[in-house]
Amino acid sequence: MDLSRYAELFLTESREHLSAINHLLLELERTPGASEPLDAIFRAVHTIKGMSATMGYGPVAELTHELESLLDRVRRGESRISAPLLDVSFATADALESAIDLAVAGRIDEIEVTQLLGRLRALASDKPARAKANGKKRRATSDNGEAGMLVRVRLAPDTQLSGVRAYLVVKRAETLGTVHSLSPSIEALQAGDFDRKFSLRLNTHEPAGAVEAALRSVGDVESVSAMSGSEENQTTPPNPDLHVDPVGEALPREALRQQQHIRIELRRLDTLMNLIGELMITRGRLVETAAAAGDLAVTEAVSEASRLISQLQDEIMMSRMVPVHHVFDRFPRLVRDAARSLGKNVEFAMSGKEIELDRSMLDEIGDPIVHLLRNAVDHGFETPAEREAAGKPAFGKLTLSAARERSSVTVRVSDDGRGIDRVRVLAKAREQGFVTDAAKTELTDEELIRMIARPGFSTKDQVTDLSGRGVGIDAVYSRVRALGGSVEIKTAAGQGTTTILRLPITLAIIRALLARVHDEVYAIPLTHVQETVALTPSHLKTVRGQEVLLMRGDVLPLVRMRTLASQPVAQDGTAHVIVLELGERRMGLVVDELSGQQDIVVKHFDAVRGGAALFSGATILSDGSPSLIVDVGSLL
Amino acid sequence: MSHSVLICDDAIFMRTMIGDILQQSGFDVVGEAETGLQAIEKYKQLKPDLVTMDIVMPDMGGIDAVREITKFDPNARVLMCSAMGQQALVVEAIQAGAKDFVVKPFQPSRVLEAVQRVLG
Repeated sequence: MDLSRYAELFLTESREHLSAINHLLLELERTPGASEPLDAIFRAVHTIKGMSATMGYGPVAELTHELESLLDRVRRGESRISAPLLDVSFATADALESAIDLAVAGRIDEIEVTQLLGRLRALASDKPARAKANGKKRRATSDNGEAGMLVRVRLAPDTQLSGVRAYLVVKRAETLGTVHSLSPSIEALQAGDFDRKFSLRLNTHEPAGAVEAALRSVGDVESVSAMSGSEENQTTPPNPDLHVDPVGEALPREALRQQQHIRIELRRLDTLMNLIGELMITRGRLVETAAAAGDLAVTEAVSEASRLISQLQDEIMMSRMVPVHHVFDRFPRLVRDAARSLGKNVEFAMSGKEIELDRSMLDEIGDPIVHLLRNAVDHGFETPAEREAAGKPAFGKLTLSAARERSSVTVRVSDDGRGIDRVRVLAKAREQGFVTDAAKTELTDEELIRMIARPGFSTKDQVTDLSGRGVGIDAVYSRVRALGGSVEIKTAAGQGTTTILRLPITLAIIRALLARVHDEVYAIPLTHVQETVALTPSHLKTVRGQEVLLMRGDVLPLVRMRTLASQPVAQDGTAHVIVLELGERRMGLVVDELSGQQDIVVKHFDAVRGGAALFSGATILSDGSPSLIVDVGSLL
Repeated sequence: MSHSVLICDDAIFMRTMIGDILQQSGFDVVGEAETGLQAIEKYKQLKPDLVTMDIVMPDMGGIDAVREITKFDPNARVLMCSAMGQQALVVEAIQAGAKDFVVKPFQPSRVLEAVQRVLG
């Protein structure tokens, strides 16, 4: 598993915990008897330990482990809060901060924690009675060499019966001298109740190298380090009572923090987004007013402000962008489980996980994608026997990919299953009266999606089973359309189905073409506008009683906005046609007048369903008037 | 000269397997025992360089056998063959005088490593 992308998250969270630890240590210093801060520190340290171990940041995990052990002794009443204990805890918090920065920056080799670990262990292995003893006293003993050689052993990860192996190491050490200060205790070791690492002190005349070699020969020993009392002293800070950061100054800490993260409540980002939306609207009004005033200085200032507001908008948008893997990452498991429970053999691959989408958009597309993946596994893929009979590879290929395409993001779900049976869908469509053209023998992709996306069309089990696809496609379709996106399906019998979701990168602000119809101004998302032309009689033709639009030889369906919006029929006057496009479909929409383009803030619509199907939302225009946003998807 | 080995295990399967692993590496399997008592008897009789000892055997268990063998020959080299979860028993065997241990299911490389350590 690639852990690197969790590094930022780890960094952010660890910093929060460290900051809490520092505060709590101060509190503990003020009220040494309080159990609350102690417990909270313990939890925070424990959390960092777990996270860093998962990330493979050994030295960080080691430091936190030792600090945790020390604190645990205090919690169990075996040690008391003392000045040296607080000092070493503060020092550890500082060292952790540097170590975490280095670890995340991939410079784990530069982390130097040995001496601090020694201090922590020394303090933790003090006898309860001596818990209060200050650092100087402790050091005095080691100066005399009474403490003996500090030996640290780490067993290999695949060690079997590690407790027994540790016991063998201890027994071997006993052949070299007197062993004491074993940590964890011999009982814990024999029970295997330790994490492959243990330490002991050895009073011996053997040189450190010989001790190391002897212990290594026990087998399954990954590393041994033996440090004589004098060596240990050299590496211990000259005065343990002094608050010394063992790595601090030498490191260009600031350089490591170029990519800092903070966590912000989503609500705040939403508020910012709304505010910038309002500001965009005000900007529009300001630009209009300034232009009308004709004062050059004002116009200049307004255009500068306008540019800055655009930049601000971009920045706020960027701050909301989240890579799709936040949603995608749970899919492999989901596909695997679905495939297993249905007895299908599926090979699942994802790409484009780094593509970014607006946070709110990302939250919304999860369900539709889940739907498509489940559908593919459930109905798309044949059973293993069917695949074999069809001469297809045993494992069905299911791919999910995300790609950036100009101002939209494309999400593709593709399978090499049985595809959709067009004949059955056509028959069904005919049966339900959706298709009346008797001559029609096959549905195009476009028609197909329109068929199966009809609410209620595909929910019949019969069709589901026969067509191999279709359950709830309408749900996917309507959700994606509500997000301002579009759905496309490509399918070939026996070869599989690809569903393509086109999504705007962000939900909140879109560029729209404003069109006046009678006394209303409607907003039409510019992404769906292909072109606009002034309507002339030469554009119009009537085919079988239906008005159609002639555009450079193409015949397009034509709809009059006045009719749609139940406005009074137009008196004579000019009219414009907006050519709308969605995927491969196009149509003409007749309006009275075009009134320019504007960035609009989409306010989601809570209007009654059905009646308002024509509109996907509403907005406030720069002159303060409300405007409905036309849902191009529902028109086409 | 190749080292001589006495294999103690109540299961023929295990004896055969250990025997194969060791013989393939040039060891000389000089005897086999099915019980702890047999193990002590054969040790005294054969004086092998190495003993592999199962922990759970009828008549007398491996740990007691190790104790008796070590009493007879303080330099006896006994390798315990244990299963997972026998941590405490293995510790006891080592306290009784066993030099090292291997864990079932056996991986030939691990068995040979342990044997080398015991003989080394």
